[in-house]
Amino acid sequence: MTVTMASLSLKKVSSAWIITILTLFLAAIIMGILMRLNQGNDIKLSTNGFYTTMTTHGLTMIGIWTVAGLVGIHYLMSRYVKVSTRVNVFALVLTIIGVIMIWISTFFGNFHAGWTFLYPLPLYTAWAKWATPLFLFGLAVLGVAWFVWSVKMMTEILKRYSIKQIFAWQHLSKKEPEVSTPPFILIATVSLVGIILCLITEFILLVLFFAEYYSNGSFKNDPLLMKNLTYFFGHTLANEALYLGVALLYELLPEVSGRPKFKTTWYIALAWNCTMVFVLTAFFHHLYMDFVQPVGFQMVGQLASYFASIPAAAVSALSVIFLVYGNKIKWSLTNILFFIGVIGWMIGGIGAVIDATISNNMVLHNTLWVPAHFHTYNAMGNVLFCLAFFWWVANEFAGSQETTKKNTATIAMLLIGGFGFVLMFYLGGADSVPRRFSTYPSEFSAGISYATTAAVFATVYFVAMAMIFIEIVRKCIRVFYSS
Amino acid sequence: MNDYKFMLLIFLDAAILIGLLGYYIYFSSLNPKGEDGGIKKPLKKRFFFFIMLTAVLLILLTITIPKSPYFLFTDKSPSKVVFVDTRQFNFIMSYQAIDPKNNSSGEAIELPVDKPVEFRVTSLDVNHGFGIYDQHSHLITQTQAMPGYVNRLRWKFTEPGTYKVLCLEYCGLGHPAMSSSFIVK
Repeated sequence: MTVTMASLSLKKVSSAWIITILTLFLAAIIMGILMRLNQGNDIKLSTNGFYTTMTTHGLTMIGIWTVAGLVGIHYLMSRYVKVSTRVNVFALVLTIIGVIMIWISTFFGNFHAGWTFLYPLPLYTAWAKWATPLFLFGLAVLGVAWFVWSVKMMTEILKRYSIKQIFAWQHLSKKEPEVSTPPFILIATVSLVGIILCLITEFILLVLFFAEYYSNGSFKNDPLLMKNLTYFFGHTLANEALYLGVALLYELLPEVSGRPKFKTTWYIALAWNCTMVFVLTAFFHHLYMDFVQPVGFQMVGQLASYFASIPAAAVSALSVIFLVYGNKIKWSLTNILFFIGVIGWMIGGIGAVIDATISNNMVLHNTLWVPAHFHTYNAMGNVLFCLAFFWWVANEFAGSQETTKKNTATIAMLLIGGFGFVLMFYLGGADSVPRRFSTYPSEFSAGISYATTAAVFATVYFVAMAMIFIEIVRKCIRVFYSS
Repeated sequence: MNDYKFMLLIFLDAAILIGLLGYYIYFSSLNPKGEDGGIKKPLKKRFFFFIMLTAVLLILLTITIPKSPYFLFTDKSPSKVVFVDTRQFNFIMSYQAIDPKNNSSGEAIELPVDKPVEFRVTSLDVNHGFGIYDQHSHLITQTQAMPGYVNRLRWKFTEPGTYKVLCLEYCGLGHPAMSSSFIVK
């Protein structure tokens, strides 16, 4: 496969994305630190202020790291298939509009139903009347942007590869098939299929919300159905975002490490086809504590959550171990971020498997164990995969060579800040401290201490991210002056 | 050691092990054994790891699934039934079914020790949680409170005392203040 150069227009739009994502990321980290400081009784936010911040923080983080993965795969996909920069720009403009709508609904309209906007809470308006439709329309705008973009990427892949080839099924029957599917295309496809399905679900969910909102009480939704739709959408989006990051890793890690490229084999093909099924059915674990849900679905939730870890560990993580172990590696910040990201992904995965066990979930559900595990595989997993791509691409834009030496302090702060921050969540979860409490009652005094300590660690993580941000943005800006 | 500390210990041990393994692998790349000093027979090792991981997960599934709350105390009739209605931002508990259109503040609840009891939990407005905390502020069991549905939670309290109930599903501004309690004796 010939590696083709990305066009200047693609570089410019990718730069705009990266600057937007990282700016929103730093803002959302500050929101997170403020929430932990409030829970630690170190500052005093109003309850309203806390929950509008919580809603904005959650949705911003999920949104930016989903689009970060899409930005990455769009850019690297240009190596294999024709990509549409126009659709990319369309998605960027709509994403900015959607984010502005949502931020106005939260910060000006005081909408605070949480990023999961669990039915029927958004309809019990304890905020400006206009904030609910603005929030829901904001979500619709984001959904349209990402749906059109994802479908466009899928159609471009399908112009070059057949259905059988995009899922690498030919690798299951033949050792050396005539057309080999690059792992990047396989993983991007699996992730895009998931994203397209969860965005279709988002549209159904929003239509049902609007139907009730504008029916003046004549139409009521089924809360259990709405809960299933919400978590199919939210869980799948967050999970597929991570797999987009893994697609970037498969494509770039060997390249920047000076090792041979990963090749699709029968077990890689099998693993990612299984992953597609497991990811789409694991969302049931969000409804374990809804005992009216059919027990069969609860069992599927635990099975899918458990088995999703097999391809992740036995194929992806092991491939990274085999690539690095005992081999001469050209270490740079790019592959170090990928490598730490795999460690964070695996550690977060263990926290997730513990929580996805129904009998454990009974005492962990909606405690701090939940943000513990998803912050681990996001802040110390997917974020690092995407940052690795950002760092690599920024250097490509600037035509500069990478070195690790000057980044040692950044990496140390990232590790100490990131893992210290999530550890406080795990300790809180094991102490049964509830999540989404703006302040803790006196019986959770340990939770108050964990919150303050977490804010300190998160500040260290923020400084590391700010240092990476400055370097990346400085290089990305140069693209706008290129001709 | 209680279940919470055990889970934390398992997690921390695994996390430290993964971290050390990561450092060892990183370190091995700084001192490579030659041009191709990597893993020998990778497919065989991958297969062995796959079998081990699958076996561990299957064993864990077999052990944990029967302990799921849906199967607890289902073979016995509950000695007491407590009806729980939730609303922003309080719990209404009663031994009698609660009329949603004419609900009072409920009644004080006393439950027997060492006998199975059943909570029938629903919501009059948004989703809430019904989390039961023991005297050591440990969450011992929970279910969700969903409008239009009744979740039946069965439990057997083994220690007498006052148990606190907290809302564990974000339900609006009063969420952290939404609490109640009952006595077991």
